[in-house]
This record gives sequence, structure tokens and C-alpha cells, in this order.
Amino acid sequence: MSEALVASPAPAADSSAAGASGARRFWRRLRAQRAALVAGGVVALLALVALAAPLLTAIEGQDPTTYHPSLVDSARGGVPVGPLGGIGADHWLGVEPQTGRDLFARLVYGARVSLGVALGATVVQVLIGVVVGVAAALGARWVDQLLSRFTEIIIAMPLMIMSLALLAVVPGSFPRPLLVALVIGLIAWGNVAKITRAQTLTLKGLDYVAAARLSGWGTWRIATRELLPGLAAPVITYAALLVPMNISVEAALSFLGVGVKPPTASWGQMLTAADIWYQAAPQYLLLPAGALFVTVLALTVLGDGIRTALDPRAASRLRVGTGRKGEAKAGVGTGGGGSTGDGAVLPGRGVPGTEVSRQGAPGADVSRQGAPEVDLPRQSASCDAEKEATA
Amino acid sequence: MRQSSVIARRVAVASVSLVVAAGAAACGPKDNDAKSSGGDSQPHKGGTLTVLNANAQQDFDPARLYTSGGGNVPSLVFRTLTTRNRENGAAGAQVVPDLATDTGRPSKNATVWTYTLKKGLKFEDGTPITSADIKYGIERSFAAELSGGAPYLRDWLIGGADYQGPYKDKKGLDSIETPDALTIVFHLNKPEGEFPYLATQTQFTPVPKAKDTGTKYEEHPVSSGPYKVVANENDGERLTLERNTYWSASTDAERKAYPDRIDVRSGLDSSVINQRLSSSQGADAAAVTTDTNLGPAELAKVTGDKALASRVGTGHFGYTNYLAFNPKVKPFDNPKVRQAISYAIDRTSVINAAGGSSLAEPATTYLPNQKSFGYTPYDLFPAGASGNAAKAKELLAQAGYKNGLSITLTHSNSKDFETSPEIATAVQDALKKAGITVKLQGLEENDYSDKIHGAKTEPGLFLAHWGADWPSGGPFLAPIFDGRQIVKDGANFNSGFLDDKSVNDEIDAINKLTDLGEAAERWGALDKKIGAQALTVPLFHPVYKRLYGKDVKNIVISDWTGVLDISQVAVK
Repeated sequence: MSEALVASPAPAADSSAAGASGARRFWRRLRAQRAALVAGGVVALLALVALAAPLLTAIEGQDPTTYHPSLVDSARGGVPVGPLGGIGADHWLGVEPQTGRDLFARLVYGARVSLGVALGATVVQVLIGVVVGVAAALGARWVDQLLSRFTEIIIAMPLMIMSLALLAVVPGSFPRPLLVALVIGLIAWGNVAKITRAQTLTLKGLDYVAAARLSGWGTWRIATRELLPGLAAPVITYAALLVPMNISVEAALSFLGVGVKPPTASWGQMLTAADIWYQAAPQYLLLPAGALFVTVLALTVLGDGIRTALDPRAASRLRVGTGRKGEAKAGVGTGGGGSTGDGAVLPGRGVPGTEVSRQGAPGADVSRQGAPEVDLPRQSASCDAEKEATA
Repeated sequence: MRQSSVIARRVAVASVSLVVAAGAAACGPKDNDAKSSGGDSQPHKGGTLTVLNANAQQDFDPARLYTSGGGNVPSLVFRTLTTRNRENGAAGAQVVPDLATDTGRPSKNATVWTYTLKKGLKFEDGTPITSADIKYGIERSFAAELSGGAPYLRDWLIGGADYQGPYKDKKGLDSIETPDALTIVFHLNKPEGEFPYLATQTQFTPVPKAKDTGTKYEEHPVSSGPYKVVANENDGERLTLERNTYWSASTDAERKAYPDRIDVRSGLDSSVINQRLSSSQGADAAAVTTDTNLGPAELAKVTGDKALASRVGTGHFGYTNYLAFNPKVKPFDNPKVRQAISYAIDRTSVINAAGGSSLAEPATTYLPNQKSFGYTPYDLFPAGASGNAAKAKELLAQAGYKNGLSITLTHSNSKDFETSPEIATAVQDALKKAGITVKLQGLEENDYSDKIHGAKTEPGLFLAHWGADWPSGGPFLAPIFDGRQIVKDGANFNSGFLDDKSVNDEIDAINKLTDLGEAAERWGALDKKIGAQALTVPLFHPVYKRLYGKDVKNIVISDWTGVLDISQVAVK
């Protein structure tokens, strides 16, 4: 019993002293993973670039929206003049076909949108997910039933389709990046809630929580003081994996034309505009695609590293020293919770994952649909259509 | 998310489709100045022409087709009273006789039009074509179940507005008389000097009453042209046409009909079409497209390859892309603001956004830059190549907007390089230099179309375009600037709400002219006069560039359609 008392709060790292040592341990374990460190460095660099976008473009002497008609070959469809898409001292990554806008500036400003929207959406997802999950685990049975079923409905809803619908109906005056973040956040919090609920149920059964309850603590105090610290590990882990997913979703929505609006640059929007240029100006497509790839990969690796560093089983094993029995019990408990969480995490990721890749198909459709329009309605003349409408 | 409306798409197909007409092998090699591929450029009879298209020919009923000049593929099967001249360039914008012996004889101030049919005309089953068949074909187009054609017949024929079609009203339209088997007379409710242009549309094709199967007629319409339909699969996705042995080249001076067989395959991705045409392998060597242009990126690739570049047909269709003002919305009620925007526009960046100087030509007139439209060059608010921001600022200051101005530009979210975000963003950038802050309002295609055509919902400033039903100023100017065509409820095209008696009177006066050349001149002058009001800012006229397979010969591209005429194409 006493062992359990000692053991179980440890992963929770609840007192400030334990918190400090927990953080140290976390850092030590994270540092041990080279891949995660590199990924962390990349993410930090990206964040820095996004934050310093105005500064960087000022150094380059460009901005993301000014047209440079003289830098594209108008007679050849607007392909950038010069080798490698017009790369040079003035335009570090070349210029955009047709407009001559600076690609470096658009890429770094696009990072702001992509990262900002993804982080914003993740915060919303975590807030809603944790509140719903804890409430479901601690509430009366009917509350649990209600919230759990609602969570399942939310999980079952196809993210892309719901986002498309929501984004299409909201008036254009609403700030677009905020809207995109909110929409993604409000639709895709279900897995966070499930993980939180499972973990909370596990923690609730542990002795130190029982002790807190016996000593007369209220539900709120138990939730905030005893449970939340224990939830940190799985939630942070899952959140780290949500960020890259949200980046992909934002890109997909912008690709489909319902994300942020022009002339604001976002990586997804650059991809949309670039898809027809893959042969004539490949760098135009490769830049946003590469940026997305690197960002999503780095965040995923980092997320994985954080998960490893926070893994409750590893933590308990390291902490073992006194009560092996209690430890084992706690370990099984949390470990079980953890793996439930993982179980939820992985399929959960699987679903949005497919969602995103599936959206590749509509993406292709979009580009397809774009092209015929380029080609023929011109000829058919709006006037025809319009007349038909009249008739 | 698919943006282009079904209607727009269908219309597109219809108007784009040109006929692969007639097998007049007898007509020797045609002297074509368009670039046909090297070697023996003499066209010969025979072979199969493949047509690779994006959109299916969903309507193949002559009553339902909305075409300019009879369409491309439809014109292979449907002959009409008159048709477009199958010549390159401006000569191709003329109307010429088809089933009739001339383009029509006007009388009573151009309110009565009389046509005489050529002798020896036959349907695909060998029965003779009579004037009654043409009358019946026109009457069918009034049936509600066969709607889709242009509104002119309903507007122009006496009794047309109330006529319900031959299924409901067996008696028929009294305003179309057929005194004998070869004569047909039309009685109009007002003078219409451009009636010969209207008679090129597929509603003027003969339909034998005995073979009419109503809405099913499109599965196998009875051919009067050089080809007949032998298969129509998946609602027009795959059409197979073979020679109509009863068609005679001696009665048809327009359709050459070199190939023995036409194989239309649609439902293809436009990038696939262009890829297949550029690699030109197997059957694709004898392939053309009647609905897919080269986009900017594809053009960039094609122009870098000499062999490919020699297989690109270039054409001009009467079409204008422009900014439209709603003068009922502030601040566009102030002519100075409209003029300032006209001065500020940067046509270079707009044209680049539309695909560059090879795919678009700068427009300063509302009428297309073609003689048949009566093109009269003018540039009333000269913006130069990249905008005159100083002059714009001056006008804005006079209008009371010394510290700049903030406006909203409405555009569609389609990816058409016409009313799409790319164009809107280019306009936004140009106006910024003149101190005008433009907020963009992008609407989904159908929503956009509804809003800009509603008298009550019309935005203050939006991207618009207009194309010609036939190459004349009439169908270009009248719907947009005739004050009597303002529609309060329903689709309104007079976006500037112009109701100027002198303009209306001039439209009436020109409609009385039967000399189309004289009419064209007056349309041009009227265009310039209306232009002074700055109700629109003309942006560009599109240019069509299309690839064709390496075995394709005898390329003819008229200014009427702007695309290769498949009735002229040979593959041997």
C-alpha cells in the first residue's frame, strides 16, 4: 500500500520537486534519442522561420504578395524567366509562375499559416478532449454514457467532409486561418477524449486517488491535483502526433480551396496552384511539398520521441527501487492504461491518416476539374449558360 | 467542390463541338494556311478520327443543343438552314447557306424571312428532307422536356412566347409557314437582320416527325449530315459516327468529311487529353479534341518542343473577360471611381494570371477584337500595359477619396483562369498601387452565378465574362446594355443597369439592318459610346490553343468558333 502510494504519484510527477525531477528525466530520455533531437531541432527552426518571416523577407528584400510581371515569360504561359525557376540573389527560391511573386517569401509566410493553424487546432482538440474525457470518467454513469457516445459520433464523422461543409457555410468575413483552426479543432478531438477517459479511469482506481478521495477532497480538486498530472504523458504524446496531422488537414483544405484565402500564402494553397506546373516548373511544386514533408516528418518523429520519453512503463521501471510489488501493480495499471491509450492512439491516427490520404483523391479530382474548365467553358461562354438559366 | 455548373458544362460541350463533317472526298486538297504537319499535307479520304474530350456529349438532341454556329460534333450529323463558313480566320466568321440555297431573303423590314431548300437533300434513311421537317424540328425545341437551346426563337417568332411545342399543341406554330416542300417562311415579331446567324443553330435542323421519339431521340437522331450516329454509350460519353451514305457532297459546300469514322471518347481528364495528344501514339496520332485547350503550364512545356509546337492550333472565339460594376452599390455609383479603377488596372499581370500573352490578349473594348463584331478600337481610360496609378489617384481624389478607398471584388472559386482567384488577386495587386484596398470575396461557382445574375444580389464589383452566340455585336451588346432587358426577378445580365433611351433606340435601329457589314460598324460605334460610361473594365480576350495528333491534316480554325473544325479534318 505504502509502496503503491510512493510509486503511483511518481509518473504523475505532481509535486513541484517531483515535477522538476520528472522533467529532468524526460529531458534525459529525450536526449538519448538522436532522431528525436534532430527532429526537435528542425521543428524549432521551422517555428523560428515562421516567427521571423517578416524579418527574413525583409533581408531578402521581398514580400509575399507583390507581382513581378517582368520575371515571367508571358508568351510561354508565365513560366519563370531564368534557370531553376528564376532563383537568384533577389529571389532565393525563385518566383511563382504567372505572377512572379517571390517563392521564398510565400514559403516562409506559408509556414506561419500552416504551423499556426495546426497548433491552434491542436490546442482546441486537447482542451475539448481532456475536459470531455475527464468528465466522462468522473461523472455519473449517464454522464459517461452520454459523453462517450457523443465522442464516438464525433470520431465517426469524416473530418474532411465535415470541414468542407463547415468552411463553405461560414461567411467570408470571418478571419480565415482562425476559422480553419477552429473547424479542425472542433471536429477532431474525439480520440483525445477517449484516451483521456481511459487513462482517467485507470488513475481513478489507484490508491493515491482513493486516498485523496478518502481524505475528503472534492472531485474538482482531485481532477486538477491528482488526475491531470497523470494525464499529461499520454495527452502530450498524442498532441505531438496531432500537430502534423493537422498540418496535413490544413494543407488539404487549402488545396481544396476552402482553407485560407488568397493572397494569403499557405503551403496547401501553394500546392493547389502548383499542381499543373509539375512538368514546366517543378520547383514550384517541390517547395511546398518538401516543406510539408519535412515538417510533418519532423513533428512525427519528435512526437514519437516524446512518447518514448514519457512512456509510463519505462518511467516506472526507472523509478523502481523500493516496492517491486506495488510498482508492478501500478505499472500494470498505468501500463494497461497506457496501452489502451496507445490502442486508441494508433487506430485513431490511422483513421485521420487515411482521411488525409484519401483526400488526395479529391485533390486529384480538383486538379482535374480545374483543367477542363481551363479548357472549355471559355468557349461555351458564360452567356450560353446564362441564357440557359434565363430560359 | 466541382465548380463548373452542369449547365455551363453542357453548354460548353455543345458549343465547342464542331462537326467532323462530310465526306466530300471529291473536294481536293484544301489550301490551308493553318499549320498542318509536314510531309504529304494533302488530305485524303478514309481512316478513323478519334476525338478526345473532357465532357460527354450529354445532349445530342438538336432541340436541346445550345451551340454557336451549330457546334462541332453536332454539325457532322445535323445540317441547318445556314451554317458558318468553314474557313480560317475572319472569313470563317461569315454565315453561309447550308440546307438552304441562300442565307435567307428578308422582307417587310426584316420581319419576314424566306428560305428555299436545295434539291436532292436526304435523311440517313433516304427519305427526302422537306421544309415541314425543319418546321417540326424548330417546334420541338419549344417543348418543355426538350429545353436547353438559345432563347431567341421564343423571343423572336410570333406566338413563340406561349407555344408549348408539338406534343401539346398539335397545330404547330403559325408563324412558320411551309407553302411547299422546299420553302419555309418565318414571321418575326420585330425586325431581326441577324436572323441568318440564328439559322445556324441546331434547332434549324430537319427532324422527321415519324421518327421523333421525344426525349429518346438523342440516342439516335436522324442524320442529315455526312455522318450518322451508330452508337451512343453512357449518355454521350462514347459516340461512334459513320458515313451517312445518303449525304451528298454536291449539296454541301462546307463539310469535307474526310475520315470514314469518327470515334468520340469523353470523360477524360484534360491533362490526360493533352498528354495523349502530345505523345500522339497509336490511334491518338489521328486524334483531336473539341473541348480542351492548353493551359498555361502545358503551354510552357509545348513551346519548349518544336515538334509539339507545330501541332498546336491557335484560334480566337468572340469572348471578353471583364470587371463589371454595379452602379447601384457605393462607391461605384460615382463614375470617377469606376474610371479610376479603369485607369489603375494592370492588364499585364491580369493576362499573366489568365495564362500569359499567348492565351489572352489585352482588351480595352467590350466587343471582341474581330471585324465581324464591328470591332472599333478605343481605349477611353488608357491604363497602358501596367496601369496608370497616378491618374487613378487623381480621379479618386476628385471623387472624394483622397486617402484611398476600400472595396470588395467578388469572384468565383472555380479554377478556370477567368473568374477565378488568380485573376482576382492580380486585380487586387494592381489596384493596391492606386491606393485602392481590395477585399476578395470568393464564392462557390453556383452561388457566384446566382449572385451576379440577381438584380438584388449583384455585388458592386465582380469578375465577369461574355461570349457570342454568333460573331456579331448584337448578341454581345443587347443582353448586357439594353435597358429593356433588365430583369428584376430572375437572371439579369444587364449588370450595369444601363437604361439609356439612345442606346435602346440604336439597338432597335441596328436590328433592322440586313446588311451585316453595316450593322457590324454600327455595333462597334455603339460599343464605344457605351464604353464611355465605364460600366465595365474590359480585361482580356482569350486565345485558344489546342494540340492535335501528328497524323491530323487540314486544320481549319475560324474566328467563329476559335477551334479546329472537325468537318475539315483529314487523318490520311
